Amino acid sequence: MFYRQRRDAEAQVTHDSVPLALPLLPIAAGTSEVTTLYRELRKPLLRYLVCLGLTSDEAQDVVQDAFLNLQRHLTSHGAQENIRGWLFRVAHNQARNRQTSYHRRFGEPLGGELDFLSDEATPEQRLLEKEKFRRLANGIRALTESERECLLLRAGGLRYREIGDVVGLPTSTVGDTVERAIRKLAEKCNV
Amino acid sequence: MCNVQGKLVAWLDGELPANEAAEVAQHIERCEECRGRVAAYKQVTETFTAYCDAVTQSKMQPRVPRWVPVLAAAIVFAGVLLLVFPRMRITPPPVLTPAIAVAYVPAALPAATAPDTAPRKTVHKRHVAARTVQKEAVKWQPTESAVQIAIPADAMFAPGAVPKGMNFIAELSIAPDGSVKQVRLRQ
Repeated sequence: MFYRQRRDAEAQVTHDSVPLALPLLPIAAGTSEVTTLYRELRKPLLRYLVCLGLTSDEAQDVVQDAFLNLQRHLTSHGAQENIRGWLFRVAHNQARNRQTSYHRRFGEPLGGELDFLSDEATPEQRLLEKEKFRRLANGIRALTESERECLLLRAGGLRYREIGDVVGLPTSTVGDTVERAIRKLAEKCNV
Repeated sequence: MCNVQGKLVAWLDGELPANEAAEVAQHIERCEECRGRVAAYKQVTETFTAYCDAVTQSKMQPRVPRWVPVLAAAIVFAGVLLLVFPRMRITPPPVLTPAIAVAYVPAALPAATAPDTAPRKTVHKRHVAARTVQKEAVKWQPTESAVQIAIPADAMFAPGAVPKGMNFIAELSIAPDGSVKQVRLRQ
């Protein structure tokens, strides 16, 4: 499923999410492009920010700010190369600015008990899923911050080059980091 | 150790140049160990994505404060208790009829130190009078309070003014405001 999503990244437009901030923006050049990007990237951005450790409200604020910045960026004829990476970088920096406390920044953004699991699953399936997630969470705790961020951005559908733009690493380093992180998780999860 | 081992994830992600990707694909066809690794990496990737989705959904759900269900359960429980045990409701205390006090002369008074030869009949009579009053009190409707005081005649009159052993009973009617409304003296 993940790889299909990556292949179909261009077609991954979610129509269920109504743009919240965009109607407030003035009609300007690039608005339709921003709307398209908003529909495509809102959910991956929210997921990335929440998994970084932001609360739901903070993540939504950051996403709206990021798209407002994108609108200004496009209106002022800024560079349009790697716009997805640009958007994630803006959101990433804003998230990091909000996470001022040591605990929140270096804590365990993906740790903790999950109280949400699929309602359709049987109790046995839920138990297995919970156990799988518990082992994965242990593995994620063992990752470095850089490895975690690279994996999160990769799960958001970004290419290695885009990930490198967001976290400020060369593409080859991103490849090595992702490879290492996946290998660690596979060992921890006994897959 | 295979020389393509460090490229498997990049190959899965489609990040390798075409020539390298073809080389890795050929190797995976031949190497069972690398095939197993690729399958494991795929599974980890899927699990990681599912985990991120679950975390996001968990955090984005509107949360009900934990005390809300507890409070709701407590209210329901209290309601059930009230329905099941209606007699346990607190009832106001019953209105008490005022009791008629029978006061006796304190022992310090001279009458209390009356000679031991005081006729028993008088004492008996006093008890009878008190019992009568108590019986009447049952029938009596509480419009106003009344007090009976048995007073030996020696305590009221000069010695020798009245025959020995004579007692009086003073009936005091007490108004609702506490004042004495009426005093009746009888033998």
